[in-house]
Amino acid sequence: MRRSIAYPLVVAGALGSTLVAASPALAHGYVSAPPSRQALCASGAVADCGAIQFEPQSVEAPKGQRSCNGGVAGFSVLADESRNWPAKAVGSKVTFTWVMTARHRTSNWEYFIGDKKVATVDGGNAQPDAVVTHNVDLSAFPGRQKVLAVWNIGDTPMAFYSCIDLNVGGSGGSGGTTPPTAPTTAPTTAPTTAPPTVKPTTAPITKAPAVPIAQPGAAWAPGVAYRTGDKVTYAGKTYQCRQSHSSIRSWEPSIYTLALWLPL
Amino acid sequence: MKHRYATVLLAGALLLGGCGTAKQAQPAQVTAAEAVVQAEGAHNATDVMYLQMMVAHHQQGLDMVRLAERKATRAEIRTLAQAIDVTQADEVKLMTGWLQQWSAPATVDHAPSAHADHGGLPATGDEEIAALKQAKGAAFETAFLNLFVAHQHNAVEMAQLETTKGSNAEAKAFAERVRASRADQIKQMLQLMNS
Repeated sequence: MRRSIAYPLVVAGALGSTLVAASPALAHGYVSAPPSRQALCASGAVADCGAIQFEPQSVEAPKGQRSCNGGVAGFSVLADESRNWPAKAVGSKVTFTWVMTARHRTSNWEYFIGDKKVATVDGGNAQPDAVVTHNVDLSAFPGRQKVLAVWNIGDTPMAFYSCIDLNVGGSGGSGGTTPPTAPTTAPTTAPTTAPPTVKPTTAPITKAPAVPIAQPGAAWAPGVAYRTGDKVTYAGKTYQCRQSHSSIRSWEPSIYTLALWLPL
Repeated sequence: MKHRYATVLLAGALLLGGCGTAKQAQPAQVTAAEAVVQAEGAHNATDVMYLQMMVAHHQQGLDMVRLAERKATRAEIRTLAQAIDVTQADEVKLMTGWLQQWSAPATVDHAPSAHADHGGLPATGDEEIAALKQAKGAAFETAFLNLFVAHQHNAVEMAQLETTKGSNAEAKAFAERVRASRADQIKQMLQLMNS
């Protein structure tokens, strides 16, 4: 078994050198919060991004690039300024969070605004954790800014690129991912009054997020907030929800999702 | 061993068929049916490795979502964690059933994180899960969402390996479902993280 575990490594190496797109093999990392452009694509906040929405961690290119896509043609949408990337309102000190899916030895992380380097964080040529956070002081750069965050790998010539659009010193807190400094004005997001236990079917639809509430007896659909007891039809049969959830692809009623849907 | 297992499955199927006709099926009896799906047909070393890796990966994931069920402040996050808990717990039963059917052990020979340094078996670090246990409130939610996004990205990446190099039809179909469901979970978590 040990020998076969080494097998995917060969594949990963080949991909890394040739930058074959559409194969999110064992790769890599990106800034999840404040949301980078690829995170906005992956979350659906920005539509029609192409392949990057399925592999936001894959913006890999040789070191020294200064564009949001690292020059990778398949991800050129990330460098397209006409897309009106939403800028996250943050304080003047910003906590950037990286999600790593391959914990490569790290030379350093660099942050740029325009041509100016605003921060460097040493990686010590060590393996990072799966989640890495950096606090960067951007008080000298108020207003709308495009930050280029670069993860320079220690043992390859490659780097990973993420652009984050910010409104520095705006009304918001520090990017939604600050450990203790949580001035994220709670009241705005507070009305999550919906308890985990399901209210009667007439529960007030107070929380109106992007997820629509299930219609009784309607056909199953992805992107719907189903509650325990809701009934749906799927492929000519009726099912009852056994565990509240927001429906996603492959969670349709089937022999594989009996934990979510009871056939009636 | 194999024969006895098949018998158990058959009994489960009969039980399901029997109770479905008259009154409403009871949840516990229906749950027993998931093992009925068997991975018939040929399989190769990638199929075995993939399932072994995913069993370990799932168990780590279950540890994380069970923390979130108790500790997340927002109801949406607790609900997502509960739904992932019940679906992944069933997936573990499915995968271990297939490995048993193939006479392969359900465990890998090292800790999940042992191969992380060369990309062989990416995994969330034990220290990070330990830190998650200590975190509270908004800091817990932030830590959980980011760790679990990374975790599910790894699941997508491993699914890619199976769909390209595996040979068993059921195992490959399973990997496709994993790829779709985890990508959509990541989408939800990125929304929750930045809302």
